[in-house]
Amino acid sequence: MAKEPILSAKDVEIQFSLRGRKLTAIRKCSLDLYEGETLAIVGESGSGKSVFTKSFIGMLDANGSITGGSIMYEGVDISKYKTEKEWLTIRGKKIAMVMQDPMTSLNPLKKIGKQIQESIELHQGLKGEAAKKEALEMLKKVGIPDPERRYNQYPHEFSGGMRQRVVIAIAVACRPQILICDEPTTALDVTIQAQILDLVRHLQSELHMTVIYITHDLGVVANVADRVAVMYAGQIVEYGLVNEIFYDAWHPYTWALLSALPQLGVKGQELPSIEGTPPNLFNTIKGDAFAPRNKHALAIDFVKEPPFFPISETHSAKTWYLDPRAPKIEQPEAVRRLREKMRERR
Amino acid sequence: MIKYTIKRLLQSIVTVLIIVTIVFLLLRMLPTDYYFTEEQLMKFTEEQKNEQLLAAGLLDPIPVQLFRFYGDLLHFDLGESRRIQNGVPVEEVIGGKFAISMRLGLTSLAISLVIGVAVGILQTRHKDRLFDHIGTAYTIFVNAVPGLVSYSLVLIFGSRVLGLPSMYSSRNPGPSSILPIVCLAMTSIAYYALWTRRYMIDELNKDYIKLARVKGMSTKTIMVRHVLRNAFVPIAQYLPASMLLTIGGSLLVERFFSVPGMGPLLTDSISRYDTNIVQALVILYASLGILGVFLGDVLMMIIDPRITLASKGGSR
Repeated sequence: MAKEPILSAKDVEIQFSLRGRKLTAIRKCSLDLYEGETLAIVGESGSGKSVFTKSFIGMLDANGSITGGSIMYEGVDISKYKTEKEWLTIRGKKIAMVMQDPMTSLNPLKKIGKQIQESIELHQGLKGEAAKKEALEMLKKVGIPDPERRYNQYPHEFSGGMRQRVVIAIAVACRPQILICDEPTTALDVTIQAQILDLVRHLQSELHMTVIYITHDLGVVANVADRVAVMYAGQIVEYGLVNEIFYDAWHPYTWALLSALPQLGVKGQELPSIEGTPPNLFNTIKGDAFAPRNKHALAIDFVKEPPFFPISETHSAKTWYLDPRAPKIEQPEAVRRLREKMRERR
Repeated sequence: MIKYTIKRLLQSIVTVLIIVTIVFLLLRMLPTDYYFTEEQLMKFTEEQKNEQLLAAGLLDPIPVQLFRFYGDLLHFDLGESRRIQNGVPVEEVIGGKFAISMRLGLTSLAISLVIGVAVGILQTRHKDRLFDHIGTAYTIFVNAVPGLVSYSLVLIFGSRVLGLPSMYSSRNPGPSSILPIVCLAMTSIAYYALWTRRYMIDELNKDYIKLARVKGMSTKTIMVRHVLRNAFVPIAQYLPASMLLTIGGSLLVERFFSVPGMGPLLTDSISRYDTNIVQALVILYASLGILGVFLGDVLMMIIDPRITLASKGGSR
């Protein structure tokens, strides 16, 4: 890809101190984000996908900090930002975020309209009537019917899906360049999920935003993403275009994730699950973090951390399997089945 | 909203009525001797007593007396004091003391609300730092040390070092009110600081605060526009009650500084069996308490839009 990334994270390391102990949540993680694309970050709970993206807007919890690497955005290394004042130049303004649970994300004592207006007044310099007009416009934009009436209502008068629309309206009210959606549909039921994803896609093209999805729902990924990054134990282990990840994955963790897709299950058989537990991030991890859970791990996996091996121009995986010296390893059956299944459908 | 208010009002009135009845019935269980002053008791023979009781209708069947009592209440006729100030209507006995207690109480409430809430806010802002620890230490000190000890400290410091009057006097109400007010405020400052801090920290940990931060609001704006306002809701609920109950005066503080307020009156009237005054005071305290809770609920309803929903379901 010849395009310049709009945000480029390099070797980011994030540590949390918990009762005097250091936990390394993100271990030398690099990621490039290109303008206009939709990038999905997938991984299990605790893999660090949320923490990693939160560091782009300085929203780490008080006991966490970026301890290494750089995050270049508009020519500035924002990982060096320390004060709130510095972060406020981009947070909510250029990089906005939609959070997981719409039921609790809105202030229960403030009118919906006012909450959107707050964001508008903060970032667009509009005041009073003009800001109100813009807020009504935003409500309409996110598909809330009868915005005049809805403007004066309180969050408890909105359903979950409607509230998520409001949260999205707040996030995009300031026309951000990058929108981070942190599991935006996890708390919603399936029909509403599709609507919200549609809405985000629609807003993305209308407002020319770059979107990062954080999710563990591969269905969502297949639906919306252009590119996918797979995270495990605080590292990105594989990234590539969505087709490359779904049909030609090479990291054993990606394989395991794909094999667990319910769509690939055989009736009457238990769905495969990934054995074992993720590593304890308080300890230093030696070799490939996934090796202890990988039945076909190589000897070197336990000793030396693999580098990224390119598979195509856009696709790389961090596994020794791709080393030319490694023994020939076949992609597991499930991954091949997935490929065939998709071919049948076409 | 109006329906809910009326419903709560009716509930409150019924509650007061029940309390009034119970108090009346309990006091009727006392021996009839207590209807007389100490002096009368010495002089009167049994027959004279009986005559007097009969004339006052105090030997009628209890239900008759009860309804007569309800009737009197409607005219705000609470009877006369028999022992504390013989023959003076109860309203007058209470009236003067009431004003003194309320003046002290409301002043200290205003002071402690301002200081307490401010301290609470600062504690939240400096959470887990020095100021927060000092505030917490103060709260613990006030709650853990018996009132008499801390009042004595205030008294000694105030009168010895600052030369303030150590006793209340009605001839010099201004300066002599200072120490009682300080003592009253001392406790409630701790109380308001504690609750403000607690509710603010509760609110701070909520998701919508995170969203407000993600929006790009500064911590200061979030504190004022979101946290403080929302944290004040639970505090506001108790505000009317604590305001009204200042009328009741503080037993301990008023005795300690010999303030002729409501606090000493209650104990005096109980220990001297002045039934009409006891009756009136209990009714007064109960009504104030219930009115306070009622006003608190109405206030909550005004500031918290979610409450109207609850009334639709008919719960609460």
